[in-house]
Amino acid sequence: MDSSSDEALDIIVTNVVATFRTRCHLNLRTIALEGSNVIYKPEVGKVLMKLRKPMITASIWSSGKIICTGATSEDEAKLGARRLARCLQKLGFKVRFSAFRVVNVLAVCSMPFAIHLIDFTKNNRPIASYEPELHPAATYRIKNLKATIQVFSTGSLTVTGI
Amino acid sequence: MSAAGMTCPGCGSTNIVDDDLYSQAQLVCVDCGSVVSEGVLANDPVGDVSFSRTTAVAKKPCANQIKGLQRVKAICRILMVNSEIEALSQTYYKMAYEHKAFLKVSLQKKDILTGCCVLVSCRLLNWPITIGTISCLLDADPMVVGAVYQEMVKNLSIEAPIVNEVLVSASNFKTFDVPEELAENSRDLTKRAVALVELAADSWIVTGRKPIPIMMAATYLAWQSLKPNKHRLKFSLDKFCQIAKVKKLKPAMKRVAEIKEVLCKLGKEIPWVGGAMTPNNVIQQVECILQHRYALLRRAMRTHEDTPVTSVVKQNGSNSQDPSGNWGKRVLFAPPCVIHPKKRRVEQCEHKDVTGDEEISDSEIDSYIRTPREARDFSQTQELKNEADTEVPKTAVTLVAT
Repeated sequence: MDSSSDEALDIIVTNVVATFRTRCHLNLRTIALEGSNVIYKPEVGKVLMKLRKPMITASIWSSGKIICTGATSEDEAKLGARRLARCLQKLGFKVRFSAFRVVNVLAVCSMPFAIHLIDFTKNNRPIASYEPELHPAATYRIKNLKATIQVFSTGSLTVTGI
Repeated sequence: MSAAGMTCPGCGSTNIVDDDLYSQAQLVCVDCGSVVSEGVLANDPVGDVSFSRTTAVAKKPCANQIKGLQRVKAICRILMVNSEIEALSQTYYKMAYEHKAFLKVSLQKKDILTGCCVLVSCRLLNWPITIGTISCLLDADPMVVGAVYQEMVKNLSIEAPIVNEVLVSASNFKTFDVPEELAENSRDLTKRAVALVELAADSWIVTGRKPIPIMMAATYLAWQSLKPNKHRLKFSLDKFCQIAKVKKLKPAMKRVAEIKEVLCKLGKEIPWVGGAMTPNNVIQQVECILQHRYALLRRAMRTHEDTPVTSVVKQNGSNSQDPSGNWGKRVLFAPPCVIHPKKRRVEQCEHKDVTGDEEISDSEIDSYIRTPREARDFSQTQELKNEADTEVPKTAVTLVAT
Protein backbone atom coordinates (compact mmCIF):
# COMPACT_ATOMS: atom_id res chain seq x y z
CA MET A 1 0.00 0.00 0.00
CA ASP A 2 1.26 3.45 -0.87
CA SER A 3 1.52 5.59 2.25
CA SER A 4 3.12 8.70 0.84
CA SER A 5 0.59 9.39 -1.93
CA ASP A 6 -2.13 11.80 -0.95
CA GLU A 7 -4.63 11.06 -3.69
CA ALA A 8 -4.65 7.28 -4.14
CA LEU A 9 -6.63 5.36 -1.54
CA ASP A 10 -6.62 1.59 -1.59
CA ILE A 11 -9.98 -0.04 -1.71
CA ILE A 12 -9.63 -3.70 -0.74
CA VAL A 13 -12.31 -6.20 -1.63
CA THR A 14 -12.65 -8.42 1.41
CA ASN A 15 -15.68 -10.59 0.65
CA VAL A 16 -17.59 -11.75 -2.39
CA VAL A 17 -20.87 -13.64 -2.00
CA ALA A 18 -22.03 -15.74 -4.94
CA THR A 19 -24.76 -18.31 -5.52
CA PHE A 20 -25.18 -21.12 -7.98
CA ARG A 21 -27.42 -24.12 -8.50
CA THR A 22 -26.58 -27.78 -9.04
CA ARG A 23 -29.84 -28.65 -10.78
CA CYS A 24 -30.22 -31.81 -8.72
CA HIS A 25 -31.29 -32.79 -5.25
CA LEU A 26 -28.46 -33.21 -2.75
CA ASN A 27 -28.47 -35.63 0.15
CA LEU A 28 -27.07 -33.60 3.01
CA ARG A 29 -26.37 -36.63 5.21
CA THR A 30 -24.18 -38.17 2.51
CA ILE A 31 -22.25 -34.93 2.11
CA ALA A 32 -21.84 -34.64 5.88
CA LEU A 33 -20.60 -38.21 6.12
CA GLU A 34 -18.31 -38.40 3.15
CA GLY A 35 -17.06 -34.85 2.89
CA SER A 36 -14.32 -33.51 5.10
CA ASN A 37 -14.35 -29.98 6.43
CA VAL A 38 -18.13 -30.02 6.66
CA ILE A 39 -20.53 -28.94 9.39
CA TYR A 40 -24.04 -30.36 9.25
CA LYS A 41 -26.82 -28.17 10.63
CA PRO A 42 -29.97 -30.28 10.58
CA GLU A 43 -32.00 -27.67 12.50
CA VAL A 44 -31.56 -25.18 9.65
CA GLY A 45 -31.40 -27.83 6.95
CA LYS A 46 -28.03 -27.01 5.44
CA VAL A 47 -24.42 -28.17 5.32
CA LEU A 48 -21.47 -25.78 5.64
CA MET A 49 -18.49 -26.85 3.61
CA LYS A 50 -15.19 -25.01 3.87
CA LEU A 51 -12.60 -25.04 1.13
CA ARG A 52 -8.97 -24.26 1.85
CA LYS A 53 -7.91 -22.82 -1.45
CA PRO A 54 -9.55 -20.42 -2.15
CA MET A 55 -10.65 -19.82 1.44
CA ILE A 56 -14.41 -19.99 1.07
CA THR A 57 -17.35 -21.28 3.03
CA ALA A 58 -20.29 -22.71 1.17
CA SER A 59 -23.82 -23.22 2.51
CA ILE A 60 -25.35 -26.19 0.73
CA TRP A 61 -29.09 -26.81 0.74
CA SER A 62 -30.77 -30.03 -0.25
CA SER A 63 -32.62 -28.28 -3.09
CA GLY A 64 -29.28 -27.80 -4.82
CA LYS A 65 -28.87 -24.11 -4.11
CA ILE A 66 -25.42 -23.19 -2.84
CA ILE A 67 -24.15 -19.87 -1.46
CA CYS A 68 -20.39 -19.25 -1.41
CA THR A 69 -18.91 -16.62 0.86
CA GLY A 70 -15.40 -15.57 1.80
CA ALA A 71 -13.75 -15.18 -1.59
CA THR A 72 -11.62 -12.11 -2.15
CA SER A 73 -12.45 -11.56 -5.80
CA GLU A 74 -15.21 -12.47 -8.23
CA ASP A 75 -12.93 -14.81 -10.19
CA GLU A 76 -11.89 -16.53 -7.00
CA ALA A 77 -15.53 -16.95 -6.09
CA LYS A 78 -16.19 -18.61 -9.44
CA LEU A 79 -13.19 -20.89 -9.02
CA GLY A 80 -14.26 -21.87 -5.55
CA ALA A 81 -17.80 -22.52 -6.72
CA ARG A 82 -16.61 -24.73 -9.55
CA ARG A 83 -14.29 -26.60 -7.18
CA LEU A 84 -17.19 -27.21 -4.89
CA ALA A 85 -19.36 -28.46 -7.72
CA ARG A 86 -16.57 -30.87 -8.76
CA CYS A 87 -16.34 -32.05 -5.18
CA LEU A 88 -20.03 -32.79 -5.08
CA GLN A 89 -19.77 -34.57 -8.41
CA LYS A 90 -17.09 -36.82 -6.99
CA LEU A 91 -19.35 -37.63 -4.08
CA GLY A 92 -21.76 -39.10 -6.56
CA PHE A 93 -24.32 -36.41 -7.28
CA LYS A 94 -25.28 -35.51 -10.85
CA VAL A 95 -24.19 -31.92 -10.51
CA ARG A 96 -24.53 -29.40 -13.33
CA PHE A 97 -22.92 -26.05 -12.54
CA SER A 98 -25.46 -23.41 -13.48
CA ALA A 99 -26.85 -19.97 -12.63
CA PHE A 100 -23.66 -18.67 -11.11
CA ARG A 101 -24.30 -15.14 -9.89
CA VAL A 102 -22.33 -12.77 -7.69
CA VAL A 103 -24.81 -11.44 -5.18
CA ASN A 104 -22.78 -9.09 -2.97
CA VAL A 105 -19.32 -7.58 -2.81
CA LEU A 106 -17.86 -6.06 0.34
CA ALA A 107 -14.90 -3.70 0.27
CA VAL A 108 -13.07 -1.63 2.87
CA CYS A 109 -11.19 1.58 2.55
CA SER A 110 -9.42 3.76 5.07
CA MET A 111 -9.29 7.54 5.17
CA PRO A 112 -6.24 9.15 6.78
CA PHE A 113 -8.42 11.40 8.92
CA ALA A 114 -11.16 11.11 11.52
CA ILE A 115 -14.77 11.92 10.70
CA HIS A 116 -17.17 13.76 12.98
CA LEU A 117 -20.22 11.60 12.47
CA ILE A 118 -22.85 13.90 13.91
CA ASP A 119 -21.87 16.80 11.63
CA PHE A 120 -21.49 14.40 8.71
CA THR A 121 -25.01 13.11 9.20
CA LYS A 122 -26.48 16.58 9.65
CA ASN A 123 -24.94 17.70 6.37
CA ASN A 124 -26.06 14.63 4.45
CA ARG A 125 -29.63 14.10 5.53
CA PRO A 126 -31.61 12.05 4.56
CA ILE A 127 -29.04 9.96 2.68
CA ALA A 128 -27.02 9.40 5.85
CA SER A 129 -28.34 8.12 9.15
CA TYR A 130 -26.57 7.63 12.47
CA GLU A 131 -27.77 6.08 15.71
CA PRO A 132 -24.88 5.87 18.18
CA GLU A 133 -26.81 3.63 20.56
CA LEU A 134 -27.34 1.00 17.87
CA HIS A 135 -24.22 1.00 15.68
CA PRO A 136 -21.00 3.02 15.90
CA ALA A 137 -21.00 3.90 12.19
CA ALA A 138 -23.11 6.23 10.10
CA THR A 139 -24.92 4.54 7.20
CA TYR A 140 -24.81 6.31 3.85
CA ARG A 141 -27.08 4.77 1.21
CA ILE A 142 -26.61 5.58 -2.47
CA LYS A 143 -29.94 4.73 -4.02
CA ASN A 144 -29.11 4.61 -7.71
CA LEU A 145 -26.02 2.44 -7.19
CA LYS A 146 -27.83 0.33 -4.59
CA ALA A 147 -24.77 0.63 -2.37
CA THR A 148 -24.46 1.14 1.37
CA ILE A 149 -21.41 2.74 2.92
CA GLN A 150 -20.75 2.46 6.64
CA VAL A 151 -18.69 5.42 7.74
CA PHE A 152 -16.75 5.00 10.99
CA SER A 153 -15.38 7.85 13.06
CA THR A 154 -11.84 6.50 12.62
CA GLY A 155 -12.02 7.10 8.89
CA SER A 156 -12.66 3.49 7.87
CA LEU A 157 -15.31 2.92 5.25
CA THR A 158 -17.09 -0.33 4.48
CA VAL A 159 -18.87 -0.50 1.12
CA THR A 160 -21.45 -3.21 0.46
CA GLY A 161 -24.16 -3.92 -2.06
CA ILE A 162 -26.87 -4.44 0.54
CA MET B 1 -93.22 27.29 -15.72
CA SER B 2 -95.20 29.59 -18.02
CA ALA B 3 -97.05 28.27 -20.99
CA ALA B 4 -95.69 30.81 -23.48
CA GLY B 5 -95.13 29.40 -26.94
CA MET B 6 -96.61 25.98 -26.29
CA THR B 7 -99.39 24.35 -28.22
CA CYS B 8 -101.59 21.54 -26.99
CA PRO B 9 -100.89 18.35 -28.91
CA GLY B 10 -104.58 17.35 -28.64
CA CYS B 11 -106.45 20.40 -29.95
CA GLY B 12 -103.69 22.75 -31.04
CA SER B 13 -104.76 25.65 -28.82
CA THR B 14 -102.22 27.92 -27.22
CA ASN B 15 -104.27 28.44 -24.07
CA ILE B 16 -102.14 26.48 -21.63
CA VAL B 17 -102.01 27.21 -17.91
CA ASP B 18 -100.12 26.10 -14.83
CA ASP B 19 -102.42 23.88 -12.86
CA ASP B 20 -100.68 21.98 -10.10
CA LEU B 21 -102.20 18.73 -9.02
CA TYR B 22 -101.33 18.20 -5.36
CA SER B 23 -97.57 18.68 -5.31
CA GLN B 24 -96.92 17.90 -8.95
CA ALA B 25 -96.46 20.80 -11.35
CA GLN B 26 -98.63 20.35 -14.49
CA LEU B 27 -99.29 22.32 -17.67
CA VAL B 28 -102.90 21.84 -18.78
CA CYS B 29 -104.73 22.96 -21.94
CA VAL B 30 -107.82 24.98 -21.00
CA ASP B 31 -109.83 23.98 -24.06
CA CYS B 32 -109.49 20.20 -24.08
CA GLY B 33 -108.09 19.53 -20.62
CA SER B 34 -105.15 17.38 -21.69
CA VAL B 35 -101.96 17.53 -19.72
CA VAL B 36 -99.18 18.97 -21.87
CA SER B 37 -96.35 18.31 -19.51
CA GLU B 38 -95.80 17.57 -15.91
CA GLY B 39 -92.98 17.98 -13.38
CA VAL B 40 -91.23 15.55 -11.17
CA LEU B 41 -93.31 14.11 -8.39
CA ALA B 42 -90.62 13.46 -5.82
CA ASN B 43 -87.10 14.76 -5.36
CA ASP B 44 -85.15 11.52 -5.68
CA PRO B 45 -81.39 11.71 -6.12
CA VAL B 46 -80.20 11.52 -9.71
CA GLY B 47 -78.79 8.16 -10.77
CA ASP B 48 -79.06 4.94 -8.81
CA VAL B 49 -78.20 4.95 -5.16
CA SER B 50 -75.89 2.16 -3.97
CA PHE B 51 -76.49 0.32 -0.72
CA SER B 52 -73.14 1.41 0.76
CA ARG B 53 -73.89 5.02 0.15
CA THR B 54 -77.15 4.86 1.97
CA THR B 55 -75.71 2.93 4.89
CA ALA B 56 -72.20 4.37 4.95
CA VAL B 57 -70.85 5.97 8.13
CA ALA B 58 -67.76 8.13 8.67
CA LYS B 59 -64.53 6.05 8.91
CA LYS B 60 -63.58 5.38 12.53
CA PRO B 61 -60.16 4.24 13.69
CA CYS B 62 -59.96 0.51 14.32
CA ALA B 63 -59.73 -0.93 17.82
CA ASN B 64 -56.00 -1.60 17.58
CA GLN B 65 -55.32 1.94 16.51
CA ILE B 66 -57.28 3.26 19.48
CA LYS B 67 -55.37 0.93 21.80
CA GLY B 68 -52.12 2.07 20.24
CA LEU B 69 -52.99 5.72 20.78
CA GLN B 70 -53.77 4.97 24.41
CA ARG B 71 -50.41 3.21 24.74
CA VAL B 72 -48.70 6.28 23.30
CA LYS B 73 -50.47 8.39 25.89
CA ALA B 74 -49.45 5.98 28.65
CA ILE B 75 -45.79 6.05 27.61
CA CYS B 76 -45.85 9.84 27.56
CA ARG B 77 -47.36 9.94 31.05
CA ILE B 78 -44.78 7.50 32.40
CA LEU B 79 -41.95 9.60 30.97
CA MET B 80 -43.65 12.76 32.26
CA VAL B 81 -43.14 14.62 29.00
CA ASN B 82 -44.98 17.83 28.24
CA SER B 83 -48.32 18.02 26.42
CA GLU B 84 -46.79 19.16 23.11
CA ILE B 85 -44.78 15.96 22.86
CA GLU B 86 -47.82 13.91 23.76
CA ALA B 87 -49.91 15.55 21.03
CA LEU B 88 -47.14 15.26 18.45
CA SER B 89 -46.54 11.59 19.18
CA GLN B 90 -50.23 10.83 18.85
CA THR B 91 -50.30 12.61 15.47
CA TYR B 92 -47.28 10.65 14.29
CA TYR B 93 -48.78 7.39 15.48
CA LYS B 94 -51.94 8.03 13.52
CA MET B 95 -49.93 8.91 10.41
CA ALA B 96 -47.69 5.90 10.75
CA TYR B 97 -50.50 3.46 11.49
CA GLU B 98 -52.39 4.50 8.38
CA HIS B 99 -49.26 4.52 6.20
CA LYS B 100 -49.21 1.62 3.78
CA ALA B 101 -45.85 0.43 5.10
CA PHE B 102 -47.24 -0.20 8.56
CA LEU B 103 -50.85 -1.04 7.83
CA LYS B 104 -50.30 -4.78 7.56
CA VAL B 105 -47.48 -5.41 10.01
CA SER B 106 -47.77 -7.55 13.12
CA LEU B 107 -49.27 -6.22 16.33
CA GLN B 108 -45.89 -6.55 18.02
CA LYS B 109 -44.39 -4.18 15.50
CA LYS B 110 -47.28 -1.77 15.93
CA ASP B 111 -46.60 -1.84 19.65
CA ILE B 112 -42.96 -0.94 19.04
CA LEU B 113 -44.21 1.79 16.71
CA THR B 114 -45.90 3.48 19.68
CA GLY B 115 -42.54 3.82 21.43
CA CYS B 116 -40.85 5.03 18.26
CA CYS B 117 -43.42 7.79 17.81
CA VAL B 118 -42.75 9.01 21.34
CA LEU B 119 -39.02 8.81 20.68
CA VAL B 120 -39.15 10.87 17.49
CA SER B 121 -41.39 13.51 19.09
CA CYS B 122 -39.02 13.84 22.05
CA ARG B 123 -36.07 14.22 19.72
CA LEU B 124 -37.83 16.85 17.61
CA LEU B 125 -38.77 18.88 20.66
CA ASN B 126 -35.37 18.49 22.32
CA TRP B 127 -36.47 16.29 25.18
CA PRO B 128 -33.62 14.06 26.30
CA ILE B 129 -34.37 10.38 25.85
CA THR B 130 -32.49 7.31 24.70
CA ILE B 131 -33.47 4.26 22.67
CA GLY B 132 -32.50 2.20 25.71
CA THR B 133 -35.21 3.81 27.81
CA ILE B 134 -37.88 3.21 25.16
CA SER B 135 -36.88 -0.41 24.71
CA CYS B 136 -37.07 -0.92 28.46
CA LEU B 137 -40.57 0.55 28.51
CA LEU B 138 -41.67 -1.60 25.59
CA ASP B 139 -39.75 -4.66 26.84
CA ALA B 140 -38.24 -5.09 23.37
CA ASP B 141 -34.79 -5.58 21.90
CA PRO B 142 -33.11 -2.18 21.28
CA MET B 143 -31.99 -3.33 17.83
CA VAL B 144 -35.56 -4.12 16.80
CA VAL B 145 -36.75 -0.79 18.19
CA GLY B 146 -33.98 0.94 16.26
CA ALA B 147 -34.92 -0.80 13.02
CA VAL B 148 -38.61 0.13 13.35
CA TYR B 149 -37.61 3.67 14.28
CA GLN B 150 -35.44 4.07 11.19
CA GLU B 151 -38.15 2.60 8.95
CA MET B 152 -40.73 4.97 10.40
CA VAL B 153 -38.50 8.01 10.01
CA LYS B 154 -37.81 7.07 6.40
CA ASN B 155 -41.47 6.43 5.50
CA LEU B 156 -42.80 9.56 7.16
CA SER B 157 -39.83 11.67 5.96
CA ILE B 158 -39.07 13.08 9.39
CA GLU B 159 -35.75 14.81 10.00
CA ALA B 160 -35.10 14.20 13.64
CA PRO B 161 -31.92 15.40 15.31
CA ILE B 162 -29.54 12.73 16.53
CA VAL B 163 -29.36 12.10 20.24
CA ASN B 164 -27.72 14.99 21.95
CA GLU B 165 -25.45 13.68 24.68
CA VAL B 166 -25.37 16.98 26.43
CA LEU B 167 -29.11 17.04 26.87
CA VAL B 168 -29.31 13.41 27.85
CA SER B 169 -26.64 13.77 30.49
CA ALA B 170 -28.40 16.80 31.85
CA SER B 171 -31.44 14.72 32.57
CA ASN B 172 -29.72 11.73 34.06
CA PHE B 173 -29.35 12.80 37.62
CA LYS B 174 -31.51 11.67 40.45
CA THR B 175 -31.27 13.10 43.90
CA PHE B 176 -28.76 11.08 45.83
CA ASP B 177 -29.75 9.90 49.31
CA VAL B 178 -26.23 9.93 50.56
CA PRO B 179 -24.25 11.22 53.50
CA GLU B 180 -23.41 14.90 53.57
CA GLU B 181 -19.81 14.64 52.36
CA LEU B 182 -20.82 12.67 49.25
CA ALA B 183 -23.82 14.80 48.33
CA GLU B 184 -23.64 17.36 45.57
CA ASN B 185 -25.81 20.11 44.16
CA SER B 186 -27.47 18.66 41.09
CA ARG B 187 -27.21 21.83 39.03
CA ASP B 188 -23.47 22.18 39.56
CA LEU B 189 -23.00 18.51 38.84
CA THR B 190 -24.98 18.80 35.62
CA LYS B 191 -23.05 21.83 34.45
CA ARG B 192 -19.70 20.23 35.15
CA ALA B 193 -20.64 16.94 33.50
CA VAL B 194 -22.00 18.70 30.42
CA ALA B 195 -18.73 20.64 30.08
CA LEU B 196 -16.78 17.38 30.34
CA VAL B 197 -18.95 15.77 27.66
CA GLU B 198 -18.36 18.76 25.37
CA LEU B 199 -14.64 18.46 25.92
CA ALA B 200 -14.80 14.75 25.17
CA ALA B 201 -16.74 15.52 21.98
CA ASP B 202 -14.05 17.97 20.86
CA SER B 203 -11.31 15.41 21.38
CA TRP B 204 -12.84 12.48 19.48
CA ILE B 205 -13.93 10.44 22.47
CA VAL B 206 -17.66 10.75 21.80
CA THR B 207 -17.98 10.18 18.05
CA GLY B 208 -18.90 6.61 17.20
CA ARG B 209 -19.39 5.49 20.80
CA LYS B 210 -22.47 4.62 22.81
CA PRO B 211 -23.58 7.75 24.69
CA ILE B 212 -24.50 6.29 28.08
CA PRO B 213 -21.05 5.12 29.27
CA ILE B 214 -19.63 8.52 28.33
CA MET B 215 -22.28 10.27 30.41
CA MET B 216 -21.62 7.94 33.31
CA ALA B 217 -17.88 8.66 33.11
CA ALA B 218 -18.48 12.42 32.83
CA THR B 219 -20.81 12.41 35.85
CA TYR B 220 -18.31 10.45 37.93
CA LEU B 221 -15.41 12.76 37.08
CA ALA B 222 -17.58 15.84 37.59
CA TRP B 223 -18.61 14.59 41.02
CA GLN B 224 -15.01 13.87 41.97
CA SER B 225 -13.76 17.21 40.74
CA LEU B 226 -16.37 19.31 42.54
CA LYS B 227 -14.76 18.38 45.88
CA PRO B 228 -11.46 16.69 45.09
CA ASN B 229 -10.66 15.51 48.61
CA LYS B 230 -8.94 12.22 49.40
CA HIS B 231 -12.18 10.46 50.20
CA ARG B 232 -13.76 11.22 46.85
CA LEU B 233 -10.63 10.53 44.86
CA LYS B 234 -10.41 7.07 46.40
CA PHE B 235 -14.07 6.38 45.52
CA SER B 236 -14.16 3.92 42.64
CA LEU B 237 -16.59 4.00 39.71
CA ASP B 238 -18.23 0.81 41.03
CA LYS B 239 -19.11 2.37 44.36
CA PHE B 240 -20.25 5.57 42.67
CA CYS B 241 -22.67 3.61 40.51
CA GLN B 242 -23.91 1.83 43.62
CA ILE B 243 -24.75 5.02 45.49
CA ALA B 244 -26.31 6.52 42.35
CA LYS B 245 -28.32 3.32 42.01
CA VAL B 246 -27.40 2.74 38.36
CA LYS B 247 -25.95 -0.36 36.74
CA LYS B 248 -22.26 -0.04 36.01
CA LEU B 249 -21.29 -0.33 32.35
CA LYS B 250 -17.94 -1.84 31.37
CA PRO B 251 -16.98 0.79 28.77
CA ALA B 252 -17.49 3.57 31.34
CA MET B 253 -14.16 2.67 32.97
CA LYS B 254 -12.37 3.03 29.64
CA ARG B 255 -14.07 6.35 28.99
CA VAL B 256 -12.93 7.61 32.38
CA ALA B 257 -9.35 6.74 31.44
CA GLU B 258 -9.68 8.40 28.02
CA ILE B 259 -11.18 11.60 29.43
CA LYS B 260 -8.45 11.72 32.09
CA GLU B 261 -5.83 11.36 29.34
CA VAL B 262 -7.29 14.34 27.47
CA LEU B 263 -7.45 16.34 30.70
CA CYS B 264 -3.77 15.55 31.30
CA LYS B 265 -2.83 16.74 27.83
CA LEU B 266 -4.62 20.01 28.49
CA GLY B 267 -3.47 20.26 32.08
CA LYS B 268 0.15 20.22 30.92
CA GLU B 269 -0.50 23.51 29.13
CA ILE B 270 -1.62 25.42 32.23
CA PRO B 271 1.17 27.97 32.73
CA TRP B 272 0.88 28.31 36.50
CA VAL B 273 0.89 24.61 37.35
CA GLY B 274 4.32 23.10 37.69
CA GLY B 275 5.15 19.44 37.95
CA ALA B 276 4.01 16.46 35.93
CA MET B 277 0.34 16.03 35.16
CA THR B 278 -0.73 12.46 35.86
CA PRO B 279 -4.21 10.97 35.83
CA ASN B 280 -4.07 10.93 39.63
CA ASN B 281 -3.47 14.61 40.22
CA VAL B 282 -5.39 16.00 37.24
CA ILE B 283 -8.76 15.90 39.03
CA GLN B 284 -7.85 18.87 41.17
CA GLN B 285 -7.20 20.91 38.04
CA VAL B 286 -10.41 19.93 36.25
CA GLU B 287 -12.26 23.10 37.23
CA CYS B 288 -9.46 25.25 35.85
CA ILE B 289 -9.11 23.16 32.70
CA LEU B 290 -12.81 23.32 31.92
CA GLN B 291 -12.95 27.06 32.50
CA HIS B 292 -10.15 27.73 30.03
CA ARG B 293 -10.55 24.70 27.84
CA TYR B 294 -10.60 26.45 24.47
CA ALA B 295 -7.49 28.44 25.20
CA LEU B 296 -5.74 25.32 26.50
CA LEU B 297 -6.81 23.38 23.41
CA ARG B 298 -5.30 26.02 21.17
CA ARG B 299 -2.06 26.04 23.18
CA ALA B 300 -1.83 22.27 23.10
CA MET B 301 -2.30 22.16 19.32
CA ARG B 302 0.32 24.86 18.85
CA THR B 303 2.80 23.08 21.12
CA HIS B 304 2.18 19.84 19.26
CA GLU B 305 2.83 21.47 15.89
CA ASP B 306 6.02 23.09 17.16
CA THR B 307 7.55 19.82 18.42
CA PRO B 308 11.08 19.49 16.97
CA VAL B 309 11.39 17.84 13.57
CA THR B 310 13.74 15.08 14.80
CA SER B 311 11.11 13.37 16.86
CA VAL B 312 8.69 13.49 13.91
CA VAL B 313 11.32 12.06 11.57
CA LYS B 314 12.06 9.26 14.02
CA GLN B 315 8.37 8.48 14.07
CA ASN B 316 8.25 8.45 10.29
CA GLY B 317 11.24 6.12 10.15
CA SER B 318 9.61 3.55 12.37
CA ASN B 319 6.30 4.01 10.60
CA SER B 320 7.63 3.30 7.13
CA GLN B 321 7.00 -0.42 7.59
CA ASP B 322 3.57 0.29 8.92
CA PRO B 323 2.01 2.77 6.52
CA SER B 324 -1.60 2.09 7.33
CA GLY B 325 -3.48 3.95 10.00
CA ASN B 326 -0.81 5.51 12.15
CA TRP B 327 -1.74 9.04 11.25
CA GLY B 328 -3.26 8.86 14.73
CA LYS B 329 0.14 8.99 16.35
CA ARG B 330 1.01 12.16 14.47
CA VAL B 331 -1.91 14.30 15.64
CA LEU B 332 -2.66 15.37 19.17
CA PHE B 333 -6.31 14.30 19.31
CA ALA B 334 -7.62 11.36 17.37
CA PRO B 335 -10.16 8.62 18.00
CA PRO B 336 -8.63 6.31 20.61
CA CYS B 337 -8.77 3.18 18.45
CA VAL B 338 -6.58 4.93 15.88
CA ILE B 339 -4.02 5.95 18.51
CA HIS B 340 -3.90 2.41 19.91
CA PRO B 341 -4.68 0.27 16.89
CA LYS B 342 -5.29 -3.45 17.22
CA LYS B 343 -2.44 -5.48 15.75
CA ARG B 344 -3.62 -7.08 12.55
CA ARG B 345 -2.23 -10.28 11.09
CA VAL B 346 -0.42 -9.59 7.84
CA GLU B 347 -2.48 -11.22 5.15
CA GLN B 348 -0.88 -12.99 2.22
CA CYS B 349 -2.08 -11.83 -1.13
CA GLU B 350 -2.91 -15.06 -2.92
CA HIS B 351 -4.35 -15.80 -6.32
CA LYS B 352 -3.62 -12.55 -8.04
CA ASP B 353 -4.16 -14.04 -11.46
CA VAL B 354 -7.16 -16.23 -10.82
CA THR B 355 -9.57 -16.30 -13.74
CA GLY B 356 -12.24 -18.64 -12.44
CA ASP B 357 -12.04 -21.01 -15.37
CA GLU B 358 -8.93 -22.98 -14.51
CA GLU B 359 -8.45 -26.71 -14.49
CA ILE B 360 -9.21 -28.37 -11.17
CA SER B 361 -7.16 -31.52 -10.66
CA ASP B 362 -8.60 -34.70 -9.22
CA SER B 363 -6.08 -34.89 -6.41
CA GLU B 364 -7.17 -31.49 -5.25
CA ILE B 365 -10.78 -32.52 -5.07
CA ASP B 366 -9.89 -35.77 -3.31
CA SER B 367 -8.52 -33.79 -0.42
CA TYR B 368 -12.07 -32.68 0.31
CA ILE B 369 -13.58 -36.13 0.32
CA ARG B 370 -13.15 -38.74 3.03
CA THR B 371 -11.90 -42.17 2.10
CA PRO B 372 -14.51 -44.92 2.53
CA ARG B 373 -12.73 -46.16 5.64
CA GLU B 374 -12.76 -42.69 7.19
CA ALA B 375 -16.45 -42.32 6.37
CA ARG B 376 -17.22 -45.70 8.02
CA ASP B 377 -15.26 -44.78 11.16
CA PHE B 378 -16.99 -41.44 11.33
CA SER B 379 -20.48 -42.90 11.07
CA GLN B 380 -19.59 -45.54 13.70
CA THR B 381 -18.40 -42.93 16.17
CA GLN B 382 -21.54 -40.89 15.48
CA GLU B 383 -23.71 -43.89 16.34
CA LEU B 384 -21.73 -44.59 19.51
CA LYS B 385 -22.10 -41.00 20.51
CA ASN B 386 -25.86 -41.04 19.94
CA GLU B 387 -26.22 -44.23 21.97
CA ALA B 388 -24.13 -42.85 24.80
CA ASP B 389 -26.18 -39.66 24.77
CA THR B 390 -29.47 -41.49 25.05
CA GLU B 391 -28.22 -43.88 27.80
CA VAL B 392 -26.38 -41.51 30.07
CA PRO B 393 -27.49 -38.03 29.19
CA LYS B 394 -25.68 -36.32 32.07
CA THR B 395 -22.18 -37.64 31.45
CA ALA B 396 -20.18 -35.68 28.92
CA VAL B 397 -18.85 -37.95 26.21
CA THR B 398 -15.88 -36.78 24.22
CA LEU B 399 -15.16 -38.53 20.98
CA VAL B 400 -12.22 -38.28 18.72
CA ALA B 401 -13.15 -38.78 15.10
CA THR B 402 -10.33 -40.43 13.24
